[in-house]
Amino acid sequence: MLQASAVTKSFPGVKALKDINIEVRPNEVVGLIGENGAGKSTLMRVLAGTLRHDSGSLTLDGEELKLRNARDAARHGIGMVFQEQSLLLNMSVAENIYLGQEDRFIRFGIVNWKAMNAAARRQLAKIGVDIDVTARTSELSFAARQMVELAKALTLEESVDRPLVILLDEPTSVLTAADIEVLFERVRALKSRASFVFVSHRLDEVLAISDRVYTMKDGEVVAEHRASEVSAPELHKVMVGRGLQAEYYRETRQGEPRSEVMVEAKGLGLAGAYHSIDLTIHAGEIVGIAGVVGSGREELVRTIGGYMPQTEGTLEIAGEPVRFSSPEQAVKKSIGSVPRERRIEGLVMFLSIAENITLADLKSVMRHGAINYRMERELASDWIKRLRIKATGPDVACRKLSGGNQQKVVLARWMTAGSRILILDHPTRGLDVGAKEEVYDLIRDLSEQGVAILLISDTLEETIGLSHRVLVMRDGEITARYEAKPGAKPDQVDLVKAMV
Amino acid sequence: MTVQSEPLKSVSEMERTKPATSSAGRVAALFGGPRWRAYAPLAVLIALCIIITIANPNFIEPRNLIRVANSAAVPLTLALGLTFVILLGSIDLSIEGAVSVAAMVLVLLAMNDSNGNNYGWFAVVAAIAAATLMGFLNGLVQTVLRIPSFMTTLGMWFIGLGFAVYMLGGSAIRLTDDSIRSLALTRFLGLPLAVWVATGAFILALVIQSHTRLGRHIMAVGGGEDVAELSGINLRRVRIATFALAGFFFGVAGVLAAAQLGQSNATIGDGRLFAAVTAVVVGGTALTGGEGGVWNTLVGVLIVTVLANGMILLGISPYIQQTVQGLMIIAAVALSLDRVNLKIIK
Amino acid sequence: MDGPYSLKNFLERGWIHGAIPPALLVGLVILIELAAPGFLSGETLSLLFANTAVLFILATGVTFVILLGGIDLSIQAVASLASVVLAQLLPSYGLLAFPIAIATGFAFGLLSGVVHVRLKVPSFVATLATAGIVTGMALWISDGRAITIEEGGRANTMWINGTLLGIPVVVLLAAAVGLASFLGLRYTRFGRQSLAVGAGEPAAWAAGINVDRTKITAFAISGMLAAIAGVILASRLSSGSPSLANQLLLPAIAAVIVGGTAITGGLGGVARTAVGALIISLVRIGMTFVGVNIFAENIVFGAVLIIAVAITIDRSKIPVIK
Repeated sequence: MLQASAVTKSFPGVKALKDINIEVRPNEVVGLIGENGAGKSTLMRVLAGTLRHDSGSLTLDGEELKLRNARDAARHGIGMVFQEQSLLLNMSVAENIYLGQEDRFIRFGIVNWKAMNAAARRQLAKIGVDIDVTARTSELSFAARQMVELAKALTLEESVDRPLVILLDEPTSVLTAADIEVLFERVRALKSRASFVFVSHRLDEVLAISDRVYTMKDGEVVAEHRASEVSAPELHKVMVGRGLQAEYYRETRQGEPRSEVMVEAKGLGLAGAYHSIDLTIHAGEIVGIAGVVGSGREELVRTIGGYMPQTEGTLEIAGEPVRFSSPEQAVKKSIGSVPRERRIEGLVMFLSIAENITLADLKSVMRHGAINYRMERELASDWIKRLRIKATGPDVACRKLSGGNQQKVVLARWMTAGSRILILDHPTRGLDVGAKEEVYDLIRDLSEQGVAILLISDTLEETIGLSHRVLVMRDGEITARYEAKPGAKPDQVDLVKAMV
Repeated sequence: MTVQSEPLKSVSEMERTKPATSSAGRVAALFGGPRWRAYAPLAVLIALCIIITIANPNFIEPRNLIRVANSAAVPLTLALGLTFVILLGSIDLSIEGAVSVAAMVLVLLAMNDSNGNNYGWFAVVAAIAAATLMGFLNGLVQTVLRIPSFMTTLGMWFIGLGFAVYMLGGSAIRLTDDSIRSLALTRFLGLPLAVWVATGAFILALVIQSHTRLGRHIMAVGGGEDVAELSGINLRRVRIATFALAGFFFGVAGVLAAAQLGQSNATIGDGRLFAAVTAVVVGGTALTGGEGGVWNTLVGVLIVTVLANGMILLGISPYIQQTVQGLMIIAAVALSLDRVNLKIIK
Repeated sequence: MDGPYSLKNFLERGWIHGAIPPALLVGLVILIELAAPGFLSGETLSLLFANTAVLFILATGVTFVILLGGIDLSIQAVASLASVVLAQLLPSYGLLAFPIAIATGFAFGLLSGVVHVRLKVPSFVATLATAGIVTGMALWISDGRAITIEEGGRANTMWINGTLLGIPVVVLLAAAVGLASFLGLRYTRFGRQSLAVGAGEPAAWAAGINVDRTKITAFAISGMLAAIAGVILASRLSSGSPSLANQLLLPAIAAVIVGGTAITGGLGGVARTAVGALIISLVRIGMTFVGVNIFAENIVFGAVLIIAVAITIDRSKIPVIK
């Protein structure tokens, strides 16, 4: 039995895991659910040995485990099937299965390929799939790759003489329904030989495969259920936690959108991501899109932000048809993006607050063809005051700011550039409660000023709370549309039904 | 080696999801793209041979073919070493330094016209060992100091070159050991021994690439460093071993070059880096690592050598050779454009 | 081990904040003055500056590229080609040979940039290819020989070797190039965007900056400045040759890095490169002075390069060090 007791893990500024207690019993499938940022992946990485926890302990059959890396975990029979597929596409299936374990097939320094291929074939036969072990992994379908990963994890059986624990980190996110069924079948068949920890966003899947389910929220395990005794909506309620709080999302400040149409999409599509999207955003309107990972909403907002051009349909910005091939073109049409990856795409972390604010529109601080540093600093100081950015001055490098203040700098940049349309891609990810509220205030300010806002967010409550209208996407399509007037906000459970 | 860096990882995550959605690469695969591409260098080589033969039938004469083989010996040996480094996704710019050092050590330890040494074939061993050591240092310095290979090896290039020229006192020193000179002068089955040595080097490289753990691990690290690490591969060890291995090949090449030239001087390495990089790239080995191999490099070296030979036969100024090679690098990378999901290239 | 007060940390901070290189420069000057009193006289200083001028101009060009996180390995080849073009054209074209030679450099810089950006080739390979193309052309134009600038042509290069107001013209030229580059980096949109791209390419892209154009411009500038360095060198030596500047690649890159511009981009500038170029020049003088064999200089520069890179590199920016 694998046990985690009082495990904690902090990253700078965030407590990712707080006092986690879970156990994985022999021959069972344990589900692990939670919203983005709830700490599921962090916990999995701790169990897999790729991340070290700060305090607490891991025990295996009562013995304390000290895992320094994936190899240590493997020695104890803990294998992981990764969320991002962890196969080397330039190598064959057999090579991938035995990567790092070639020693078993080496004689006098020469690898015995025949033996390795035969062993790989046996390994795949065990999970009942028929894949050419000499094929290049890049030629396999996603589903087949997932099977190879599973086979790779199961090779531990040959070197460890205790039941394995296999960690499955969102293995279904790239699979079709039929493939998922195949995977589940294998997992059920293998239960007699190993235990599984299954992480997914899709509650119905978790319930279908698991014996027990842990629910995580904000770095804590908040509930444990027997899968047979709980329904998906019930689980969802636990997962989302707190009910709606009108005040938290400044609903009283939610005004009427103006009549001017800023964004209009008709039959918009991007091959492999989303299709047939009809969408209108008015000036001063906040439109939220709900959907799980893979629903296509991430790609949709990135299309409008200029990151990924659409492959079909039309997109009109303020009445003018566009097809952006870079954010530069979107910025010229006065669209600003607040990207999810704040530290990578949001800000140039090594530049100062002032330099980041003027990044999209240097003209406003240029005189006679030259940057006027005095004006630039004044502009930045002004924003620091207006948005209450906590910094000692405009010359401070952005990497030294807290997440909330960084987000304010990003917003200040787009306000400086006079953006009339804002794409908010998880605008409050990684922020603490106080910082979130400040960002909500800012979003309301912008909305009042007539900025059209497209929002996607980690939590449903945020999407519902902030938006004038909520669209729900599933499998690349809009499956439901809700008005979200203050006091008449749609119910989360309804939304979830449309999402999964 | 890997540096822990959360934020950047997420970008790669983002990019990795791309092929699933909008991959030009997958379209190419549908039309047999990679496969077609795999044989393109060979097709180019054959076409080249045919065209040159038509233009000047002397090309196909045994005497000329032997000349081609002979002039391919040193570039091939160098390019083989470089292949492993490039498969890793790294680069070794210190080739010219390593060749100079090996040639210098050889000439100064074997019978020569400058000092009284006469260590015979021990000098050959010492020369190869010196270049291997240099490669080992390349690997060690970049993994310990954690700096990119192109910077480490740029520094080592000039350290090696400076050291070699310094030891030679700035002049050319002649190699007078006949048994070592025989590498270039003696023929076996009609081919100079140097060609046989290069052939041996090729077979060795082939065995290392496809039949040893190091070979597998080089491909794994080049294919995905993070995945390789998760599979328990010791990245640092693989990296150091690869650069040392490359140094070994450079050492052999340095010995051959000195034997062919009959001396060692300050310019013995000139142009070797460029020729080797051209051969590897033209052969189809990807600079991003994990794709290609020693067969590609053999074809690449032959393309470069045959073209050079053909230009001479056709009476084209040999001076433009470098220009043509430069254009070939660009053409080769342009044709291998499978980088739809690479965003940041520096 | 890597506590906030460790030596490594001290070096890293000092270098990145630009404090150590100037201190090193002053230290070197004092050292040489102590060893050979009279060094600080106007005459030797002006000689030092004159000898540093070409190196500085080359290094300034490559600074633009390194600031973006790239590298240009073609500068020595471009400078050599420019020297050959100048020497070849001076007799027939007179002063017009200068702009032609410089434009050639610009064009090949542009080529490097376009290949790097459009074909998505790492810059060291793109510029290596350009270097090959350029060297081949230089060899071809000059027929593989050094071309002496004869009496007739020398009339047009005299001005470069003269002095103006007691200051060598080469020093003035270097100062002009340095000043223009400094102002360009600090006060223009291109300069700011270069810094942003070097410091964080995805964020710069997302903020609407045309990353490709910025990069291509930087390579074109690098090529142009390399050509300027080449024609000055040719004028000073009264000859152009396809290998004229070959020994300058390493010192130029070393000057940029030693001056405190990070190889990872986004940090540094022309002022730092000026300091770095002077340090390299002084080290060279110092080595000659203490009797280090001239052939061994490369060993020192190579080692200095590796050490300076190790200190100034920002490892948080490269996910995987290859």
